[in-house]
Amino acid sequence: MSRLPKNRKWAKVKSYKPQNNRAWIGVLPVVLIVAFSAVIPLMTVVNYSVQDILDFNTRFFVGFEWYRETLNDPRFHDAFVRQVAFSLTVLLIEIPLGIAVAKGIPKTGKLTPFIIILLALPLLIPWNVVATIWQIYARPDIGLLGVGVNALGIAYNYTAEPTHAWLTLVAMDVWHWTSLVALLAFAGLTAIPNPYYQAAEIDGASKWQIFRLVELPRLRGVLIIAILLRLMDSFMIYTEPFVLTGGGPGNATTFLSQYLATMAVGQFDLGPAAAFSVIYFLFILLFCWLFYTSVVSRDET
Amino acid sequence: MAQITLENIGFRYPGASEDTLSGLSLDIAHGEAHALLGASGAGKTTLLNLLSGLFAPTTGKLLFDRADVSQLVGRERNVAQVFQFPVLYESLNVAENLAFPLRTRGAGKAEITGRVDYICKQLDISNLRDRKANTLSLFEKQLVAVGKALVRDNVSLILLDEPLTAVEPKIKWRLRQTLRKVQEDTGVTMIYVTHDQTEALTFADRVSVLTAGGILQTGTPAEIYQSPGHEFVGHFVGSPGMNFVPNSAIGVTTGERLGFRPEWAIIDDDGPLKGVVTRTRVQGTRESEPYGLVTLATDFGELSVRASTDVQVGTNTALRVNRYVAFAEKQKVGESEVL
Repeated sequence: MSRLPKNRKWAKVKSYKPQNNRAWIGVLPVVLIVAFSAVIPLMTVVNYSVQDILDFNTRFFVGFEWYRETLNDPRFHDAFVRQVAFSLTVLLIEIPLGIAVAKGIPKTGKLTPFIIILLALPLLIPWNVVATIWQIYARPDIGLLGVGVNALGIAYNYTAEPTHAWLTLVAMDVWHWTSLVALLAFAGLTAIPNPYYQAAEIDGASKWQIFRLVELPRLRGVLIIAILLRLMDSFMIYTEPFVLTGGGPGNATTFLSQYLATMAVGQFDLGPAAAFSVIYFLFILLFCWLFYTSVVSRDET
Repeated sequence: MAQITLENIGFRYPGASEDTLSGLSLDIAHGEAHALLGASGAGKTTLLNLLSGLFAPTTGKLLFDRADVSQLVGRERNVAQVFQFPVLYESLNVAENLAFPLRTRGAGKAEITGRVDYICKQLDISNLRDRKANTLSLFEKQLVAVGKALVRDNVSLILLDEPLTAVEPKIKWRLRQTLRKVQEDTGVTMIYVTHDQTEALTFADRVSVLTAGGILQTGTPAEIYQSPGHEFVGHFVGSPGMNFVPNSAIGVTTGERLGFRPEWAIIDDDGPLKGVVTRTRVQGTRESEPYGLVTLATDFGELSVRASTDVQVGTNTALRVNRYVAFAEKQKVGESEVL
C-alpha cells in the first residue's frame, strides 16, 4: 500500500464512490408525476371532505361531519353490503373456475398458444364494451341469451327482476375476468418442476393428492396476486352495472362506486362525496391489508 | 428388493433421429448397490427414467425379479426415487412426508409409526419431525427426501439421481455413509446415478461406466480402477486419469496403446519415457517428504506420476512403468506387471 501514490485514496473515492446527492435530481420527475397524479388529487379530496361547499366562493369548515353522516347513512350501508356480497361471489366463482381452466390447458403442444390468446381476448375488451355486449346479449326481447333463456320457459328479465340483474352482472364479471385468474394459475402450474410430478407418481399419489399437495402449495403466490387483483377490481366495479341497469332495478345493483357517482356528479354534494371517497379508499386498503397480512402471518407460523 | 435385469434396452426420444440408449444389458443382483457413472449426456438420466417408469423402452425388456415391467408406469413398478434437488410435499411436515408413500398404499397406523420412527432414527432427523418441509434447509430437505425413498421396506428398487448435488461437501460424506448403512440394513437394491467418480467408487458394490448410450464396463470399483476395459474408462476414472503411450515406447508388443495409472510408474533417470518436468502438485507427505503429482512433457504428450515432488521444474528425467493395461482399438487386450 505504501508504494501507491498519495492521492490514490482520494482518487478512488472520487471515481468509484461518488458522495454527492445529485442522484436525487433523477428521482425528481417521478416525485412530481406522483404528486400531480396521486398525492395532490387525494389531498384535494381530503380537503373537500371536511368542508361544506355551497358554490365556488362559499364554503364552511365542518370537520368530520360528512364522515359521521356517511357512516350512519343506511343507503351507504346497503351499498356496502351489496358490494361485499358481489366481491365475495365473483371471487368464489372466479378463483376455483380459473384454476380448473388452467388445469385444462395442455402444458405443451400446438394448441397451447391459441388457447392462451383465446383466453386473453376478454381481458382486452374495455369495461363499457363488455357491459354493452352483455346489455344487448341478455335483453329478453332481442338478445340471444335473453331470448334463449325465455324460450326455455324461464321468465328472465334483468331490468325488472333484481336477482336476474345480479346474475347477469356476476356472469359478466366471470366472463370478463376468469381468464386473468386462469392465465396466472397456468403460469404458476407451468413453473412446477417435473420431478414433483414424477415423485408423486412414484409415491402413488392420487390426482386429488397431487393437486392438493403438489400444485396448490406452489400456486399460492400467484393465487394471492389473483385474489388481491380481483378483490380490488371487483370492489371498484362501476361501468358494468351503470351500463346494464344504471344500478337498478330499484337499488339492487347500486354498489359503492355507483352511489358515490350519484352523490358527486348527480347531486354535486362534493363534501359528502369526498368523505365517501376517502372511506371507500380506506376500506379497499383495509381489505387488501387484512387479506395479505392474514396470508403472510400464516406463512410464518 | 429385487433382482433387476436389463435386456438389450434401447430408447429413442420421440422425434429424435438417433437412439439415446442402445443395446444396453445389465444384471443387478438382489440387494446390490449399483452406481451408473458417466459424463453429462451419457444417457444416465434417460436410463433412470426408464427404470422409474417415466418412459418405456423402445426396444428390449426390463425385468424385476424376472417379471417384465417394461410397460408399467411408475406407481405400478414399486420403486422409490431421490432426485437431484429435494422433492417434498412442502405443505406437510416431515413426519407426514415420510408417511406419505406408506399411506397411499394403505399401510396400517402401527406400521407407519414404526417405519417413520426407524427412518428418523437412522437419518438422525427425529428433531425435525414436526417441522414443515418448507422451513427446512436444503440439506435437511434432501435428507428427508432420502428418508421418504427409504421408508417403504418392500420397494423393488431405490433410484438415486445425483442425490448429493445439492448437499454441501462437508455433509456429502456423512449422507453417503448413512445411505450405505441403511442400504446394508435393509438389503434393498439401489441404483445410484452420478457423474462423480469418487461417489460412485466409494458407494457402490459394482459400477457401470456409461458413455454415449451404452455401458462400457461393469465391475467392482477395484476392477474399474485397476483394469479398465476400455480406454475411456481408464481416462474417465481416476484423478488424473490414465496415462496412455504407444506400446513401442516401452518395448511391449501386446495391443497398440498402453495405459498406466500415475501410481504405476516411478521417476527413474534411466527409464524409457524421457521428458521434462513441467509442474508438480503436492498432495500430501510420505516419509516426511512432500508427495504428490509430477507431470512430465514427453514425446507422447504429458504424463503424470505419483512421486516425491522434490524435483525441480525443468529437470530432464524419465519414467519407468511398473504395471500397464494394454488396449487395441480402445478395448482392453491384456494387463501386465513389468519386471
